[in-house]
Amino acid sequence: MRAIYRVARATYYEGWRRRFLNGILVFAILIIGSSWVFTYLQPGAELKMLIDVGLGSIRFFGMLIAVFLGTRLIPDEIEKRTIYTLLSKPVTRMQFLLGKYFGGLATVISNVALMGATFYVVFLVKAPQFAQPTEEGSPVYSMEFMYENIAKAIVLNFVELAVVMAIAVVASVVFSWILAAIVSFFVYFVGQMSEFFGHLADPETTANPVARMILLTIYRVLPHFENFDVRESILTDIPVIWPYMGKVAAMGALYVAVVLALGYLFFNQREV
Amino acid sequence: MAHIALAIRTDNLTKIYYMGWGRYQVGVRDLSLEVEEGQIFGLVGPNGSGKTTTLKLLLGLIFATSGDAEVLGEPMGSPRAKQRVGYLPEGPYFYEHLTAPELLRMYASLFGLGGRQFESRIQELLELVDMWDHREQRVANYSRGMRQRVGVAQTLINEPDLLFFDEPTAGLDPIGARDIREVILRLRGEGKTIFLCSHLLKEMEPICDNIAILDRGELVGQGGVEELLAGEEQRYRVELRSPSEEMLAGLEQVADEVVWLDDTCRALFADRQAAFEAAARADDEGGHLLAVGPDRRTLEEVFIDAVGEVAPDASDL
Amino acid sequence: MNNTVKQLVVGILIIGLLIGMRPLSDAISYDRLVLGYARPTQVTKILQYDAPAMTSVIVGAMLGGFREVAASMLWMKTHSMWHKGAGTQWDALYLMRMTTLLDPHWLEPWRITAWHCAYNLYVETDDEEKRAELVETGVNVLKEGISWNPDRYDLYFELGWTYFDKIRDYEEAARWMGAAVRFEHPEYIERLIAHGWERVPEMEKALMWYDYCLKRRPSDHTAKGATITIRERYLPASRLIDEGRFEEAADAADMYLTINPQATLALHMKAHVYERAGDLEKALEYWALAAENYTLDYHARAKVADLCEQLGWPVPEYASHIYMREQQLKQQREMAIRRDAN
Repeated sequence: MRAIYRVARATYYEGWRRRFLNGILVFAILIIGSSWVFTYLQPGAELKMLIDVGLGSIRFFGMLIAVFLGTRLIPDEIEKRTIYTLLSKPVTRMQFLLGKYFGGLATVISNVALMGATFYVVFLVKAPQFAQPTEEGSPVYSMEFMYENIAKAIVLNFVELAVVMAIAVVASVVFSWILAAIVSFFVYFVGQMSEFFGHLADPETTANPVARMILLTIYRVLPHFENFDVRESILTDIPVIWPYMGKVAAMGALYVAVVLALGYLFFNQREV
Repeated sequence: MAHIALAIRTDNLTKIYYMGWGRYQVGVRDLSLEVEEGQIFGLVGPNGSGKTTTLKLLLGLIFATSGDAEVLGEPMGSPRAKQRVGYLPEGPYFYEHLTAPELLRMYASLFGLGGRQFESRIQELLELVDMWDHREQRVANYSRGMRQRVGVAQTLINEPDLLFFDEPTAGLDPIGARDIREVILRLRGEGKTIFLCSHLLKEMEPICDNIAILDRGELVGQGGVEELLAGEEQRYRVELRSPSEEMLAGLEQVADEVVWLDDTCRALFADRQAAFEAAARADDEGGHLLAVGPDRRTLEEVFIDAVGEVAPDASDL
Repeated sequence: MNNTVKQLVVGILIIGLLIGMRPLSDAISYDRLVLGYARPTQVTKILQYDAPAMTSVIVGAMLGGFREVAASMLWMKTHSMWHKGAGTQWDALYLMRMTTLLDPHWLEPWRITAWHCAYNLYVETDDEEKRAELVETGVNVLKEGISWNPDRYDLYFELGWTYFDKIRDYEEAARWMGAAVRFEHPEYIERLIAHGWERVPEMEKALMWYDYCLKRRPSDHTAKGATITIRERYLPASRLIDEGRFEEAADAADMYLTINPQATLALHMKAHVYERAGDLEKALEYWALAAENYTLDYHARAKVADLCEQLGWPVPEYASHIYMREQQLKQQREMAIRRDAN
């Protein structure tokens, strides 16, 4: 545990010093901070636009940071040869892998938490103005409800990023980091559509049994990233219930465990 | 109590790298070494001869294709062995945002070491490598020499019995290199075993007890430094700078062999008496006498003999 | 532990976890469906091969957090295409479809897409079958939109209006609009429900809704006028039917039919009287009259198709595609029931 903690700690502080991450973070905060400006694009749907841009940016930039940081963590150690001094100490490969993962995850989560806080401030200031019903028949929003759902959406985003990060870290052990980044993005995007693949795997939609098998495998093996996305519930007044949060978090944790175990199999063999 | 006389023993250690597309490259092949405890062991060879590969194998950073090795009586790369070794990689890098004491604290904690009383140990180590005055600086601002010094300090954090140093003086200024050599000798004085890899033969010569020469992954020579330098038979030499025509003619008559090194003429004699007489004569004739005495080969010469060609970057030699 | 054994254990662990995840994954999918977070599994097939659907799902996934913003951009593009003229209208459908998939909680694209199919593209063709297909697509688009936005009145109303105005299936229209008024809605929808029922004709239900309008807004002149008309012209017939006095009911219906022989409501009423009386042949005669009088009277045509089937008569040309469609739907429903039973 100590070894994991130490590696994680060093990774966390090191992560904050990465220029490109700081760049993405600053850019994201700028966009989120000015998300209310975009509301002029859609008169009548300001609140929707505010949430779309704000939470959309958090999700998108969080994913970017997770992939780029995750795929660089271990390759950087190898490239800069800092891994030699670490692995020649009594640190097992698994401890090293976990330390890098949790350290990197801490960096990503604190980055996203900063974005989330920015959005919360913007939302608290701007949303009550937009939420006024303008005409008969336009939806009336409950602000309390939205504050809660936004917080829940951000929390689920953390879980999602934990999964993305695990995939990125493990991919970087197997492939070069560029390829690992591509693979991570691919898994993320296809994972976004996993329900769609599940639908395609239905015998009604796809008749070919081989194709159906492939689709079903994709559906079963890839993480269902859309499960972490509850932004839509914010505007439609659908409550995000705690049991759902719990199930999705458990699912995320299981998936991270699977990916890291897979990473262990590869990293144990990996020559550095 | 059983005393382990061997710090390292390798048995036909072989590492073949797969380069992709059906091509392979030899890292090391059939390497069998024995390193006794308490000595400085030098593994020398040109770049790419397999020195670092051997180190990485012994540390478990890469895995052997075949063969076996023991480090401090444990299988290579085992956690038990790692508890008792220190490793200084070539051109070491550390987390740039840390200062030297923070770095040492981090490494120490990996061994389960730390706490307040440990701070004095950190100070001691940093003073040993002359870095205590720079304790506030972050690694990012270090010069190459400073990194190397911190690298040495970091290998000592767990008071190891066996130290692996990969090119410890490469790229350092002469004073920096000397300091490191002094530290290495001091560590031997404390009874530690030091496994050195280097292509800087001149620096290896005065400090190593035993040497193994690697070339393209294979062992081409091995033995005590003194024996290797002395060669098979003791000869004597006379060295003159730019001798005159007749002086040279006289030398060539009495000497067994005359070789030229730039403008220096070296005459070699099997007989000690003959050598000294030739030297006296040359001196009388007003020649520029550079040296006279037993012919001791340099490590460079031994190396070139063994490898059969000048090492790729002989300029460093 | 030996390294190989360790790896084997980890490998088994991975497979075990993957299998163990399955029930949890299914539970989450179920939750998403029930709680309304999920994309409905039915994706309306608007175009052959449904390329835009595929594209937009992929593009949407790639955009990740920005799909809604992308939807807004696409929508603007649709607008600009729109203004270029009729030639681009089929192309516009692709963009519209993508917008609905990119941002399914945005109501306007659903409404416009459906309207585009059922109205604009509808008049571009003379092929009856093609027309029926387009109307059906519009209806399906709205149904899909409703599955995304089940708690807003907009799309229920839109669907109801499509049934009312385009398909003239007044019963369906009244039902969907009835769904719309369960949510916050503009008042005219309540009147439209009444208009729907009076055309079925279900005069009691129509009166009930007009009364509801009047109770909510006593100054509602339309509702007041309609109430009077119904009470005068159609209610007597309707009441007589309920009492089983069908001949008197037919006479009552005739009272207005003699003034205006082509009045849709009156024709429907008369046909309804015979239908309730069990005189299917007579009923068919009047439904056919209504259908021939007014080519857009889908309700009457559907009735014709239905009665012809019951009587075992050949279905007339103008109702044949409705008949085929009904048969097909019936088959699909039966298949679905059988599958669920298995």
